[in-house]
Amino acid sequence: MPKVEGKKEKPQGRWSSRSVGRPWQHRFFYLLIRFGGRRAAYFFLYFVVGYYILCRPDQRRKAHFYLRRRFPDVTPGELLVHDFRMFLSLGRVLIDRAAVGILGPQAVTFTITGKEELLALVAEHKGLILMTAHVGCWQGAMSALAFLHLPVALLMQREEGDIDRHFFEHGGIASPYRIIDPRGFLGGSLEMLEVLKRGEVLSMMGDRFQGSDRNVTTVKFLGGNIRLPFAAYKLASVTGAPIGVLVSAKTGPDAYRIFLAGVIRVPPGLGREKEAFSLYAARFAQILEDYVQEYPYQFFNFYDLWEAEIG
Amino acid sequence: MSTKEKIKKILVEELNLEDITPEEIMDDAPLFGDGLGLDSLDAVELVVLVQKHFGVEIKDMDEGRPALQSVDSLAAFIEAKSRL
Repeated sequence: MPKVEGKKEKPQGRWSSRSVGRPWQHRFFYLLIRFGGRRAAYFFLYFVVGYYILCRPDQRRKAHFYLRRRFPDVTPGELLVHDFRMFLSLGRVLIDRAAVGILGPQAVTFTITGKEELLALVAEHKGLILMTAHVGCWQGAMSALAFLHLPVALLMQREEGDIDRHFFEHGGIASPYRIIDPRGFLGGSLEMLEVLKRGEVLSMMGDRFQGSDRNVTTVKFLGGNIRLPFAAYKLASVTGAPIGVLVSAKTGPDAYRIFLAGVIRVPPGLGREKEAFSLYAARFAQILEDYVQEYPYQFFNFYDLWEAEIG
Repeated sequence: MSTKEKIKKILVEELNLEDITPEEIMDDAPLFGDGLGLDSLDAVELVVLVQKHFGVEIKDMDEGRPALQSVDSLAAFIEAKSRL
């Protein structure tokens, strides 16, 4: 629930979901995928990544905030290799996502582990908060939730001018999930509450926040302090809904693993103080930390999570 | 205790509003924004508190948007629902 309508607070504008590419560059890749297949797009991706490595130090710097934490003793030469692998990984995920929409779901295989646990959580009839993060192909994870046989709502803000397409937009089909805009009335909080009260699925990103510092709590991540939103934990406390942390990772040329990385249960009556939710945000941060140990090049937050002013 | 008084008491005691007493809350002051300074997370809590204390459910956005404007509007909503 990033939007806050209340006290004047420090605005937050450190990250952007907007793609760095130009519209024609995106269209070029979409055409490549359509007429040459995914592998042709992969081939051209090497040139694009090479360009970013050699000619866009500004973009490389954005990756270094994370990479220097993940690989603390890295040399400049090694950092260059990490940059390359990171950008290549991101590019492949974006191509795969587009391929699912353009070529059909058979373009990529999603293997889900934790289905039984997720079905058990849904069977509690308290709604289910699926928390994910900007890792792997999170939209792929969203596309693979049909087995839950429940409507899925996704809290998502799309920035104006963003040219990046979601997988379903390539295929010209309706969104498989209802999108709740955090810029709506009361940050979409009532819509989210409504979803959970109906026993449905609400998906939220747990690794970024927008708008206000008031609804975030500080936790440790990769040796430093970062701020994470606690709206999901508040909702869970109020509704009794369990939180399933669902992440995805690319595990092969056309294969993804989607897995339930943890279940977070938040007791009722935690009040409105952010400190009450730190424990649960810390659990999520630990899950992310475990994830990046296994998949170091699939963590796609290209901004300084560890801002100097965080105490 | 009137519905408005009860709402004000809930706002102060259960949403932990600081530096204000129930008596100081104006009936027509906006609950969110520049009024009482509640935020979107407080809205979630408030919806649950209304159900808990008054047995009235704010089912969706259509009900929530007009009801959650001020103490006046919330009291009117609760009283109307209670009469049903």
